[in-house]
Amino acid sequence: MINIITALPCEARPLIDHYRLRGNAKQSAFRCYQNDELRLVISGIGKLAAATATTYLASRDTQTTSGWLNPGIAGHADHAIGTPLLAHKLIDAASEQQWFPGIVIPAPCASETLTTIDSPEAEYRPGTMIDMEASGFYAAASRFQSCELIHSLKIISDNRNQGTDQITEKNTTALIHDNLSTIDAIISELQTLAHQQNRIDKAPVESDAFMAQWHFTTYQQNQLRGLLRRWHALKLPAAPDPDDFSQLTTSKAVLKAVKEHLDRQPVHFYEANR
Amino acid sequence: MHRLIYIEEAVADHPRTKAICARFPRATKVYCKHYGEVFNRKGQNFRLQKQNPALILAHKHKNHVLNAPDGYGIGGQRNYYFSHMLNCLYDCRYCFLQGMYRSANYVIFVNYEDFQQAIVDTAREHPDEALWFFSGYDCDSLAYEPVTNFTDEFLPTFSQLPNAHLELRTKSLQIRTLLNTEPLDNCIVAYSFTPAALSQALEHGVPSVEKRIEAMVKLQQHGWRLGLRFDPMIYQEGFERDYQQLFEQLFSRLPAESIHSVSLGTLRTPKAFHQNMVNLYPEEKLFAGRFDEQRGMITYAKELEEQMTHFCYDQLMQYIPQSLFFACTPPE
Repeated sequence: MINIITALPCEARPLIDHYRLRGNAKQSAFRCYQNDELRLVISGIGKLAAATATTYLASRDTQTTSGWLNPGIAGHADHAIGTPLLAHKLIDAASEQQWFPGIVIPAPCASETLTTIDSPEAEYRPGTMIDMEASGFYAAASRFQSCELIHSLKIISDNRNQGTDQITEKNTTALIHDNLSTIDAIISELQTLAHQQNRIDKAPVESDAFMAQWHFTTYQQNQLRGLLRRWHALKLPAAPDPDDFSQLTTSKAVLKAVKEHLDRQPVHFYEANR
Repeated sequence: MHRLIYIEEAVADHPRTKAICARFPRATKVYCKHYGEVFNRKGQNFRLQKQNPALILAHKHKNHVLNAPDGYGIGGQRNYYFSHMLNCLYDCRYCFLQGMYRSANYVIFVNYEDFQQAIVDTAREHPDEALWFFSGYDCDSLAYEPVTNFTDEFLPTFSQLPNAHLELRTKSLQIRTLLNTEPLDNCIVAYSFTPAALSQALEHGVPSVEKRIEAMVKLQQHGWRLGLRFDPMIYQEGFERDYQQLFEQLFSRLPAESIHSVSLGTLRTPKAFHQNMVNLYPEEKLFAGRFDEQRGMITYAKELEEQMTHFCYDQLMQYIPQSLFFACTPPE
């Protein structure tokens, strides 16, 4: 799953159309749109709104690992209008707090520092994009996800030659629309990473069957998952089956028996292990 | 190729920073106040980062030379390590670095002179003793040589310190500088090995056993003294055959007189690091076998450790004198 936070409806519209996202009337705190792979929330302007919307979406996320993207428009003194730039460093101007998203994906565009300000400023800051949401988005999303999966992608909407007074809803929509291929490439890479991580984190399929047969405490459930992962890692011919331990009456005895079974297994690396 | 190079503001104008950045003209430079902002922060995924690590250039402020851990030595009474670099180009599944660090990015401390001064100061504190300095603890000593220029920069320091010995520990074929340098009596180039099948399964990105042996032969022919490190020894069913073949392969190519030392140690990882490693790679067969906890370390069962150590020791004694052998075993 990829979670998308945009500030404005005009930024969201091209994404809603492109990905055929459907409005979710049940969620009334924010305007939410989704399909099977993506969820989009329109946060409103400002970092507090962005942080709240991000947390709202995270609280509804049932997956261990999801990608997070904050596409939108930003100003920059020098970059040309329409340039897409991934944020490699985020600064919250008010608190001077900084974050460094880990860019492990093969990003389809250049990257730049992004500074989030609380209210519009007359002058451009040197060497940085300017927006009003990214620090809130990132601070909140990084509570839930590792930094490699959280990104802000900004399209330059104004610069020294063409100021903010020329930004309209219509040209904002056009800027996002014109960069859909870049946004799509990033979403695709984030999906790949998230899928990889979800496969790694996925509880072994047999966990539920074991837990249905015996009562495991939370601590024991972790132990059980660890043992079942070991079982699969050893590539044993037979899958773990609770029926093989049905004579045991307690979860503690089951854990002990599974561990002893695994400890007796030979380890060999001859098959391709990559 | 690095897409991003994070640079501490304090070293932005350092000549070594500029030289390293010049090697990556297409990389984007990102400035930070302290490398820990990037390297040490929470919420990073080592495994994901390992797919495309960034480079971090930083200044090391203190602790340039540290006492080596117990059991990490080759006979010297005083053992130290120093790390001009954190993290490794290779991706060995047993490596403790992946459990120790939150980030897989490579850190290079560009203030080599401070490391060199600390080495000189340490050597002068103990003028009548033989000191050992290990450079391959937090990284591979040679693997990033084209970027770090490490040997070229550090060998002259050791050439002036007769009581200080340097171990370059590596799995790398980056030996050009060494082959262009007059060998030092107080420097040994130590290669780490596991048997070929294990290397293929567990040492991702590492040159093959055969290629490493070829590199050692070239170094030996040039006059460098060599070390062999079987640490960690990795268990698999039939390990006897694997290690026997490895020893035969090595000692049939390397003249005994070129060998300075051989060391042997079983797999052992601090408990917290081990758990991090299992969490990163739950599907990894290496972690799925039987492990016990001994002295806060996760190890193979004691009887298996002894069996492996005795077997390999006996095998090695067919090729080397006992005086060249060192066991990497932490004290009880």
